[in-house]
Amino acid sequence: MSGTHLLETLINGLISGSIYALIGSGLALIYGTTRVLNFAHGELLMLAGYFILMFAVTLGWPVILAAIATIVLVMVLGALLQRVTIAPLMKREDWAFSVIAATIGLSIFLQSGAQLVWGEQYQGVPYFFHGVAVIGEVRMPWQRIAILVVALLVMGICGLILYRTKLGRIVRATAQDSEAALAVGIPAGLVHTTVFAISAALAGTGAILLSPLITVNPWMGTAYLLKGFAVVILGGLGSFGGAVAAGFLLGLIETISVAFVPSEWSNVIAFAFLIAVITARPEGLFAGRGA
Amino acid sequence: MLQLDRVNVHYGATRVLWDVSISVGSGEMVAVMGPNGSGKSTVLKAAMGLKKPSSGVVSLNGEELQTKPATVRPQRGMSIVLERRRLFPRMSVEENVMLGAYVRKASEARETYEWVLEILPEIKPHLQATAGRLSGGQQQMVAIARGLMADPKILLMDEPFLGLSPAMVKNVLAIMKTINERGVAILFNEQNAKLSFAVSHRGYLLESGRVVLSGSGEEMLEHPEVKRVYLGVREAAA
Repeated sequence: MSGTHLLETLINGLISGSIYALIGSGLALIYGTTRVLNFAHGELLMLAGYFILMFAVTLGWPVILAAIATIVLVMVLGALLQRVTIAPLMKREDWAFSVIAATIGLSIFLQSGAQLVWGEQYQGVPYFFHGVAVIGEVRMPWQRIAILVVALLVMGICGLILYRTKLGRIVRATAQDSEAALAVGIPAGLVHTTVFAISAALAGTGAILLSPLITVNPWMGTAYLLKGFAVVILGGLGSFGGAVAAGFLLGLIETISVAFVPSEWSNVIAFAFLIAVITARPEGLFAGRGA
Repeated sequence: MLQLDRVNVHYGATRVLWDVSISVGSGEMVAVMGPNGSGKSTVLKAAMGLKKPSSGVVSLNGEELQTKPATVRPQRGMSIVLERRRLFPRMSVEENVMLGAYVRKASEARETYEWVLEILPEIKPHLQATAGRLSGGQQQMVAIARGLMADPKILLMDEPFLGLSPAMVKNVLAIMKTINERGVAILFNEQNAKLSFAVSHRGYLLESGRVVLSGSGEEMLEHPEVKRVYLGVREAAA
């Protein structure tokens, strides 16, 4: 592999990884704080894909405005999803399985709803950033570079909120012991809703960045949900920082493997790596560094 | 001050508290003693709102709280030191302590913080340490500090001596007395009868979710049933 090819591969790995990190860190935040496995998380990404399509393409809004509207809308949906579907179930003693079943049901409902509203056709979103960046001898569209930059920025802001603000402190406290948090007066239910909204924003950011590169369709969330769960497990269940690191690691492994074997094998290699990690280190690579 | 009146609690279909009535007066130290599984912790959780009673009344200074969320209690002057400390393990000791004042203004919290460090000077050297890495005894000090940061008028303590060395038990007892002498009422539970009733103004004996005996600490220690079953003392034959 030449130096240029290696650099290109690494950049591509980081770009793929940043999307996995965005989705996985949202799932990790939810799991870390509420112990809920949200199978409808991929559908929030899908809906955000349609929202950006609607605002930026159909309505022709400026990209920044369309992106803000998409994030706000998807955050409201994430919060509603938690309030209407998950919060009532979590009041029961044995909620773990019922919540999984509910989020799977919600995922199917949202996919089918998207088919009814927007149809089954794959729809394209034009590039938001035009031109090509030149890094040494590597030429890369700005749209792809923007994915890495924006994803890092958004996850950095989330990290700052989590570790440097009062909101972050109460989210981490609820994640570490929700009953103890409740006992000091932290409204755990409201924290859970907030976490769902933040996670939805992360998925929404992923969708906005991805939609010009892949087509928007009702099933686009499914593959990313699976990768997101892989990232959550690799990162150490519930660890925000671990999920970010694991997302980049998974992206790099996939992209590097494609340099040596046909691209159809990338998923096989990625999930084989996941199985190997679970076998050797069931608690994940970055366990104990949870929110 | 705190009143539990005919409180019943269920876990699923299982009833764990049966018409439990307990009261704690202003400035009192009250013990709830009973064997494992008698429902002691549930009494404290029901009082704190962490377990909703299926019936009965929980009131604090005349205000009924049984239908209100747990988050209301710290605002009304009640806080709890949970069983096995239950710190936020990956946060620093200082963060843990300060979160105890979540419902209060920062300026008020700062004042209480000084007071808490004065009562619990042992935690001063560990303020920046990760709470989960401290010893059991040190964690108990942090848990008490967190409980006090709400500036409670009544502090609930769920098995405060559990898993502590005899020296640390003495230390925690001394701290409880100091807190109580400063006007904070304490309701605590414990399995050891001597430990429970020797330090408390009043006590309750709980068996299978029912209050079977109550009285002053002295009366409880002298009660033949407590002596026979919980202190292992045999009455001399007449």
